[in-house]
Amino acid sequence: MTVFHFFNCAILTFGPHAVYYSATPLSEYDTLGTSIKAAVVYLATALVKLICLATFLKVSESDSFDPYQEFLKALIGFIDVAGLYFALTQLTHRNISQNHKFQAVGLGWAFADSVLHRLAPLWVGARGLEFTWDYILQGLEANANLVLSISLAALGSLMWLRKNKPKTLIPIIYLSAGIVATMPSITSYLRRGLGWHFPKVVGFELFTSLVMAFISWQLFAACQRPSV
Amino acid sequence: MAPRKPREREMLLESVIALIFIFVACVDLCDGATVVDVYRLIQYDMSGVPFGSRLASLNHHAASLHFSPHADLSRTVLLIPLRELNMSFVKEYIAESKPLGGLIFLLPRMFSFENKDGMGSNHQDESKELLKNALDELEQILIHANVPYPVYFAFEDDNIDAVLTDIKKNDVTGQPATATTGGYKFVVSAPEPKKVVSPPITNIQGWLAGLKTDDDAHQLPTIAIVASYDTFGAAPALSVGSDSNGSGIVALLEVARLFSLLYSNPKTRGQYNLLFGLTSGGPYNYNGTHKWLRSFDQRLRESIDYAICLDSIGSWENELWIHVSKPPENAFIKKIHEDFSRVAAELGFKVNLKHKKINISNPRTGGLVDGRHFVNEAAIVRSVKLIAESLARHIYGHQGKNIQIFADNSNLAVNPSYVQSWLDVLSQTPRVAPFLSKGDPFVMALKKELEDHTDEVNLHRDVLDGMFTFYDSTRAKLNIYQVASVTFDLLLLLVLGSYLIVLFSFLVITTRGLDDLISLFRRPPSRKVKTA
Repeated sequence: MTVFHFFNCAILTFGPHAVYYSATPLSEYDTLGTSIKAAVVYLATALVKLICLATFLKVSESDSFDPYQEFLKALIGFIDVAGLYFALTQLTHRNISQNHKFQAVGLGWAFADSVLHRLAPLWVGARGLEFTWDYILQGLEANANLVLSISLAALGSLMWLRKNKPKTLIPIIYLSAGIVATMPSITSYLRRGLGWHFPKVVGFELFTSLVMAFISWQLFAACQRPSV
Repeated sequence: MAPRKPREREMLLESVIALIFIFVACVDLCDGATVVDVYRLIQYDMSGVPFGSRLASLNHHAASLHFSPHADLSRTVLLIPLRELNMSFVKEYIAESKPLGGLIFLLPRMFSFENKDGMGSNHQDESKELLKNALDELEQILIHANVPYPVYFAFEDDNIDAVLTDIKKNDVTGQPATATTGGYKFVVSAPEPKKVVSPPITNIQGWLAGLKTDDDAHQLPTIAIVASYDTFGAAPALSVGSDSNGSGIVALLEVARLFSLLYSNPKTRGQYNLLFGLTSGGPYNYNGTHKWLRSFDQRLRESIDYAICLDSIGSWENELWIHVSKPPENAFIKKIHEDFSRVAAELGFKVNLKHKKINISNPRTGGLVDGRHFVNEAAIVRSVKLIAESLARHIYGHQGKNIQIFADNSNLAVNPSYVQSWLDVLSQTPRVAPFLSKGDPFVMALKKELEDHTDEVNLHRDVLDGMFTFYDSTRAKLNIYQVASVTFDLLLLLVLGSYLIVLFSFLVITTRGLDDLISLFRRPPSRKVKTA
């Protein structure tokens, strides 16, 4: 790899965040502050998760899939949901509509996640001569993660900020939110339990994120229609 | 109270983030290229004429023997397994000085002194013999050539075999190394080789004094047992010389051990002095031996009854050769030969006499082929028994008598464990003289071992003659990287640019539709207020 390759992978990893911000009306409604606050909440949530992981999880010497440990990880993963709840409901903000608010929060959340988990490996990998597909796949994974974060933020917005929801849609909203929230555990199971390789896992993540995005969009659009 | 919390939280966050970065960096640093030990072809000058591999550092793409006939190889490293070696190819490229980026020869593991398979086996199949002959011929070509690019030897293992398979596949399909597939890049980071100044030669001399009777006024006669201990080969770091002359060293040490038992008791001490010599500089016209002999004083030199030099006695089966410089008709030579032949007959093999002028200009001492795998310690044990028994009969005047001083299962028996242990040590110790430091641990070990068995041990230090000049950097680490080309990254940049453009368009269309949908149901007054 070279610096050029690092540049390419960085574009793939962080470019979509910038494109999303500039292409959508977010840039017109001064939502950058909200995104930054969401990113800060993400970092705090990551810290809490780190402490919980260190406290409750044992380090398994074998790389086998341990259902109990994975269940604990999933429970700790729900701290993300709590963090997202805080970001959506407790942050002080200016006069921003719900449409743009959840998008800003989801965008900030995803960007902080990419910076925290992918910037350092990218930078270190750029210095080696060895070429691997891992960094490109990692960038694609960041894209899937962005889509999932905005989907989860949309569903969270529906669950916590919208009062008058059609009653027939409430179970679907909660089920979708549950699926999106447990996605990290699902991918961990695929990778270590079923032995999937990284390219296959990334493909699954992309496909699933698009499906969940479509479902979230449909749910959000349905909730926008006034009840007759 | 209130203002402190944010600061503490920020500091804690920064610490955690820093730790995470460090952790991630460490994890990623461990993931890297394949690393292989490589051993460089020797680099030396003889009377100012350059020989061997003249460069050490390497940074080129790799190719196999299946390269395209029209390919430019001046910036390419050829990875050639010995099993597929085409000798005419090597001669063509080296003799005609065709340009290359580098050469790496892959040797089978049986030539490695870390290989323990079939140790001591003397049954060689035909393919092994072919490989030995090929490697020997290759070594002679490389040693006597002037090669302007780096040449390295490596041993087959799973990693480099997988790399070679990939390289062959790429070469067969005709894909050059700079395509989008990238290929493999071989990197050896080594400094410019430097001359070895004043290469040392150390000779080790041990002395067992004979029994002197009171009425005897003249000097006791002396028998000298000599073996050269250093090696020379295409790769100095691989020149262990198990047979030539590791077997000679082992035999000398065992003979010294046996006679030290006899000479430690005045009743069994012979009336001959025994002089043991372990000399250096053997491959260089026996430079060390020459200097050692010159250091003798007149009385010692005159007292030498005869000298026996042990060389390459670890790979024979039923016939052992004695080389003599005097005609076989000489009465003394005839007597010596009769003594040795009689003992050999008792031991069940034959000793042959060969008269020729001792030619020391082209020795073959400890090359790549000469490894532990091809040495038979049973042959050394028999050689030791022959030498010790013959010497003892000569010393104690037992010619013609059917007495075995060193019979099996007696306390004077030859010790196979001793022979095997020393042979193993020697088979793992490269011993090219210019690269042995003064006070080298190996030389000190030999000295100590000889001290255990003789009355007096001396080291004679000297410097190799100026005719030879050697250069360092005998081993290195080869890093193998799988690389991508600039073309690939340019294509990737195009793909990414297209992706981002498509994403932008999709998002604009989608969000406009959404805004339109939303704005349809808004009250006109709110809309007007926002617009204003």
